[in-house]
Amino acid sequence: MTREATSLEIKHRQRALKALAELGMKIVEDIKNGQPPKLKIPSRSTSNIIYDKKNRYFVLGPHYSVRSAGSMKQIKKIAQLLCTADFARELIESGKFATLREMYYTAEGWEVGPFHDQSESDAIIEDLEATFGLKRESLGLTPEEDGAAVYGQIVFREGDVTIDATKAGRGGYTIPPTIDDVEFVKCKAKRIIAVETMGMYHRLIQEEAWKKFDALIVGLKGQAARATRRFLKRANEELGLPVYLNCDGDPFGYHIGMVIISGSANLAYINHELAVPDAKYIGVTASDIVNYKLPTDKLRELDIARLKQLLKDPRYNTEFWQYEIKKMLEIGRKAEQQAFAKYGLAYVVNEYLPAKLKEVEGQQFLGKV
Amino acid sequence: MKSLADEIFAEFREHSVSEFFRRNAAMLGYTGKIRSLTTIVHEAVTNAIDAAEEAGILPKVNVIIKRVNDEPEHFKVIIEDNASGIPEQYIPDVFGKMLAGTKLHRAMQQRGQQGIGISGCVMFGQITSGKPTTVITSTGNGEVIRADVMIDVDRNQGKILNKEKFKEKWRGTRVEIEAKEVAYMRSRYGPFNYLRMTAIANPHVKITFVEPDGTLTVFENAVNKVPERPRPMPLHPWGIMSDDLLVLAKRTKARTVSGLLSTELSRVSKQKAEEVCRLAGVSPEKKPSELTWEEAEKIVSAFKQVKLLAPPTSGLRPIGAADLENGMRQILNPDFVYTVTRPPKVYRGGLPFIVEVGIAYGGNAGKAPEGKGDNETMEGEVGMDLIRFANRAPLIFDQGGCAITAAARSIDWRRYGVDITNAPLTLFVNISSAYVPYTSAGKQSIADEPEIINETRTAIMEAARELKKFLYRRLKAKERQERAGIFEKFLPVVARKAARLAGVEEPDIKPLLKKIAGVEHD
Repeated sequence: MTREATSLEIKHRQRALKALAELGMKIVEDIKNGQPPKLKIPSRSTSNIIYDKKNRYFVLGPHYSVRSAGSMKQIKKIAQLLCTADFARELIESGKFATLREMYYTAEGWEVGPFHDQSESDAIIEDLEATFGLKRESLGLTPEEDGAAVYGQIVFREGDVTIDATKAGRGGYTIPPTIDDVEFVKCKAKRIIAVETMGMYHRLIQEEAWKKFDALIVGLKGQAARATRRFLKRANEELGLPVYLNCDGDPFGYHIGMVIISGSANLAYINHELAVPDAKYIGVTASDIVNYKLPTDKLRELDIARLKQLLKDPRYNTEFWQYEIKKMLEIGRKAEQQAFAKYGLAYVVNEYLPAKLKEVEGQQFLGKV
Repeated sequence: MKSLADEIFAEFREHSVSEFFRRNAAMLGYTGKIRSLTTIVHEAVTNAIDAAEEAGILPKVNVIIKRVNDEPEHFKVIIEDNASGIPEQYIPDVFGKMLAGTKLHRAMQQRGQQGIGISGCVMFGQITSGKPTTVITSTGNGEVIRADVMIDVDRNQGKILNKEKFKEKWRGTRVEIEAKEVAYMRSRYGPFNYLRMTAIANPHVKITFVEPDGTLTVFENAVNKVPERPRPMPLHPWGIMSDDLLVLAKRTKARTVSGLLSTELSRVSKQKAEEVCRLAGVSPEKKPSELTWEEAEKIVSAFKQVKLLAPPTSGLRPIGAADLENGMRQILNPDFVYTVTRPPKVYRGGLPFIVEVGIAYGGNAGKAPEGKGDNETMEGEVGMDLIRFANRAPLIFDQGGCAITAAARSIDWRRYGVDITNAPLTLFVNISSAYVPYTSAGKQSIADEPEIINETRTAIMEAARELKKFLYRRLKAKERQERAGIFEKFLPVVARKAARLAGVEEPDIKPLLKKIAGVEHD
């Protein structure tokens, strides 16, 4: 990459480089003082994952594990962590990105020896993220997959390229893993409607839902990628757009929505960068199944077990969720978003969404339909 | 006209020696194909070592076993020594006369107590292969004698078949015995193990061995001093067996049994001898040469009923802890050796003995020894190898019933950090005594006398404690080394990477490395 870095990129890089330099400096000082360097790494064990009721997402508790370079068992991990950190520094300084897999293979050439498998190198990256409270993307490391797509009246700038999400083809703008370095240049949309399936995404584009509801339509492609979640978070915080989640009416659809709202337990160390606690679920509920008389499938055993799990999950500890989960168990049926096609392809846009949006936004939205 | 008895007696005499041999084959060690071959090697090597020691010469023994005509059970055994050689006129008696020799009538702590010796080998070879034994010997006077010897079974005498003399400057004796119905294997019971054990217990002896497949093994001597010879002294009645008494009866100059007992045995007065004869129901006036096996047995048991002074404890000749250690180091090349020679103790109220124990760990110690023959190695076993000796002579057979085995088994080896089923460990035990209490005439295992078992156990535990310390130190050293290695590998990386992250100069890790890993750098 030879292009000029944007100011946003420069800001992110400086923050990451500062954190890395502080880490290095602390270790250098310890060695100079003849003390075995110690690293305090927030514990990511389940016992240290706490649901933060105020912020409404999972966070790490107060526990740390201390790794000492004076321990025969820990010094290798520390050396690997520093090699990873230095690799991140090189990436950041050269403005490049590497995938987790590339990083795993890069370690083959390190003098501390290769990792046994990728889960080992991934764990070290998580250690760094948790230690710094910085996302891996800020350290020049990206996941394999792209984020999902967004369509609507928003203009992005990636480096020296400006992209209008309504002019990026029928599929819209693909959210890159490096979404944090993307600047939001202009946005006319007033809300975001994220849908679970790409089938529904294209339906909403065809029916011009983006125009009808002044909305950015986001296709999640199932469980949302980090980049997608990061986009939703930024759009919510930086542009003040409310986020609405439209998923299938089954336990897995519920949870796709919930992970966006409250974050996942295994990413508790970074949920403050990912969770969108104010996002609203406007997907298919058990009540919808009954009220709209939707075509349904019988709940499988797996669905029932999952629903029972959700009942106990602190994130679902609200009147709304407790009611809908119990109701679904009661009727023993589930339904997909696309089941509304029963009433015609445009029904979801012309009838269902306006009704749902009215529920969450009140009178303000009625006149649009 | 001859009586029937005369005829039977004549018939009996004609076969007496070979009959004696055949009937007592098991007792004499000629039982089983592998064991028979080992016995030939044992008898000849024992003779060779004793002869050299007696002449004050450091023994060098060459043993060659060759297959004859590619037949599976037909071998030639060649044993050559560097001893004083045999004067011409003694050749027939040394090799051709059963129950003859220079040792039998002198009761002392010695290797062979069989009383059948090398002439038994000649006999065995003759019976199985029909071939004479070839003897090549020289006293070092420039003349070498080569003679084929057979035993004249009629007369119990050596018979020289061919004899030639030639000029050569050489000293020693070479014996070539051809035998059938024997088998060669590198098993626990085979000649290889026998020679290896002999080398360990006799660190002053150099043994060179060529196996049938041509494999050459040299057991170098570790000590350059001929051990002091045990003093000949009369046997004490508590320690003799029936066959010992019969051997003495054949050799004595006494003309009566009571004279035999009082002159040939220690601590036996004329009065005691007559008392014992009375108790045994044997006429004190009987000619010793007419003593029967049954009478000898009765006399031996009668001795237990009379009061006698105990034998002196002087005259015991252990190997010595230092020499034993050298021997074990030389042959086993181990990582650790500890040897102990205990002070003299007595059993049965007064019979003196000395226990010696050696533990070797690592290297070639343990079962599965170095190298390979054309046969299997030692049965492919691993773990502790218990090697037993009586007066330095290997005890190879009847391991199960031996007091030494009982003592070794009674040890809780785990307490010493040893897994005897896997450890590369050789446990050496030697019992020195003029009165080794063998369980049988085969003389391959020691009777379970409580004092001998306890003393052996005490000695093994002393050595095992030292082994435990060694194993602990070694484990600690290994851990320290590993620890240092890990820090030496990773700490420089930590320092370099941290310095690069911070954008500062790399810190000196030496003080920290010394502190956490104990590593000194110049």
